[in-house]
Amino acid sequence: MAERPDRWIGVALDRQIKPGSSNPAIVGGNAIAVWRAEKGPANVWEDRCPHRGMRLSFGFVRDGMLRCIYHGWGYELGGHCASIPAHPDLAPPKTICANVYRSEERYGIIWTNLSESPNAPLPDAGPDQGWQSIRSVYVARQVAAVKGGLASFDWGGGRVEEIGEGAALVNAGGLSLLIAIQPVDESKTGLHVVAKGEGAKDAKARLAWASRLERLRGSIEAQS
Amino acid sequence: MAVTTDRAALNEWIACGWPEKVVPGGKYRTVLLGQEIEVRRTGVSSFEVFECDGHGELSRSLPVQAKYCCIFTTLGEPIRPLPKIPEFDEADRRITGCGSVGVHTSPFRIIENFLDMAHFSFVHTDILGAPERTEVLAYKTEHRKDVDEIWAIDCQFYQPAASKASKGGQMTHYAYRVMSPFSVMLYKNVFDDPTRNDAICLFVQPIDETECLAYMPLAIVDRESALTSIIDFQQTIFAQDRVILENQRPALLPLDPTIELPTRADASSIAFRRWLKAKNFQFGVYEKKAA
Repeated sequence: MAERPDRWIGVALDRQIKPGSSNPAIVGGNAIAVWRAEKGPANVWEDRCPHRGMRLSFGFVRDGMLRCIYHGWGYELGGHCASIPAHPDLAPPKTICANVYRSEERYGIIWTNLSESPNAPLPDAGPDQGWQSIRSVYVARQVAAVKGGLASFDWGGGRVEEIGEGAALVNAGGLSLLIAIQPVDESKTGLHVVAKGEGAKDAKARLAWASRLERLRGSIEAQS
Repeated sequence: MAVTTDRAALNEWIACGWPEKVVPGGKYRTVLLGQEIEVRRTGVSSFEVFECDGHGELSRSLPVQAKYCCIFTTLGEPIRPLPKIPEFDEADRRITGCGSVGVHTSPFRIIENFLDMAHFSFVHTDILGAPERTEVLAYKTEHRKDVDEIWAIDCQFYQPAASKASKGGQMTHYAYRVMSPFSVMLYKNVFDDPTRNDAICLFVQPIDETECLAYMPLAIVDRESALTSIIDFQQTIFAQDRVILENQRPALLPLDPTIELPTRADASSIAFRRWLKAKNFQFGVYEKKAA
C-alpha cells in the first residue's frame, strides 16, 4: 500500500484541468482522478469506482456529476453516488461513495492532501493573487534527487528556498517562481511551476522560463 | 513467473490455442498458469501438449482435446469434462474462432465483464446498448449443481445493433452460462428469428494471474454476412471491453463484497464471485492484506 502522509502536494496547474474533464495523476504511488465540473474548483478523488474498480479518470462529467465510463454510475461533488443507470428508479444506497481527498486551488496550482486526517497547512508563498502558470515538467528521478537538482541549478542568479516539504520558491531578481514538487513514484517526480513579479505577465519571458525548466530536467536526468 | 499451486485452477481444462495457429507438423510454445508448455500439431486434427521444464526441455505429456475452435489442455486432474455445446454441431451455423486477444488482467475480470449487461450502453454505445435505454431488468441466476455451472437466465436488454445480421434495434434475450472459472458463453436470440439463438463463447487462457489470452469462438445463425465482417464485429466489441478490463483496480478479482459494491444488475457477478469463493480459488483472486 502506498503511503499517504499528511502533506499538501501539487498535482497540476489550474489551467490543465479543463471544465467538464477527468484526468489521471499519481501521487506517491496512489492513483488519483483530478476532475472539474462544468464550473467550480477541481476535485481530487481516488482513481477507482467503488462499483467495479474502474479508473474514474476515464470518466465523463455530466450535470455536475463525475460518471464512471464502465456503467455510468454518477457521483456528486462530495463523492456520493446519485445515479445508477442500470436502475433508473432506484435511489442509490448512501453507502456507495467515491473516496474523496482534500483539494485546494492556490497560486494557480491544484494541491491535494491524501491523508485520512489532513491537518497540515498549505505551503505559504504569500498572497494568492497574481501568479502566472509557467509549465509542468516530469523528471525521471525520485524527489530527493530532484530537490538536489533544484538547489544546484543555475537559476540566473536566483536562490532557492524550500517552503515545507512539497514546494520550493526561487527568487530571481524581481521574479518569484513557485515550484510544487509532486512525488509520482520511486522513479518519477512532477514539478508544477508558477511565477509572479517582474516579467511574469510577459508571454515571452514565461516561455523563456519554460525552456529553462526543460534544461533543469535535462541537468537532473544527466546525473546518475 | 512461478507455476500456480492452486489445485482449483490446475484441475480445469483450459484453452491454450486454436488449431489454425499452427500448421500440421508445426509447434509453438505458450504459458498456462505460469507453466510453459509446447503444443504440437501432429496431424490435421491431432495435437500433443507437453510441459517444458526450467531449461526449456520437454517433460511431462499433458492431456489434449481440440474442440469449439480451440485446443484445450490441463495441468492437473480435471474434475469435469469439456462442456457440451451442441450448437457447434448444427450444420447451418457459421462457426469461427476469431483468434485470440491478449488482456492484462485477471481471467475472472474477463469472465465477469462478459456476464455484464449494464455496461452495454456505455462501453458498446449504439451497438449493444443505447445511451437512453440503460435499464437492466430483473433476471434470474442459478447454480446448476448437476453440472456445476452458473447460469443467468431471462436476461434482456435493448440493443441498437445486436449482431452483424441486425437491421435495427431489438429487445435481445440472453442466457449466460459459466461452464468453468475460465470459460463462459451466451445465447442471444437471432435477429428476426425468435426460435434460434446465436452461441458465443469466451475461453480464457490465464498466462499468469493478471495476463491472459481470450478466445471467442462463435456458432451463429447468419447466412448473409461475410465471415470476416462477423469476426470484425466481435473484435470491435472486444477491443472496447479491453480498455475497461485493463483499467480496473485491483486487476485481481476481489471476492469480498465490501471491496466492490454491487447492485441488482450485478446478480450474475455476485453468483460468480460466490462460486469462486466456495471453490476456495486463490489464483487470480484479490486478497485484502491484513492491516
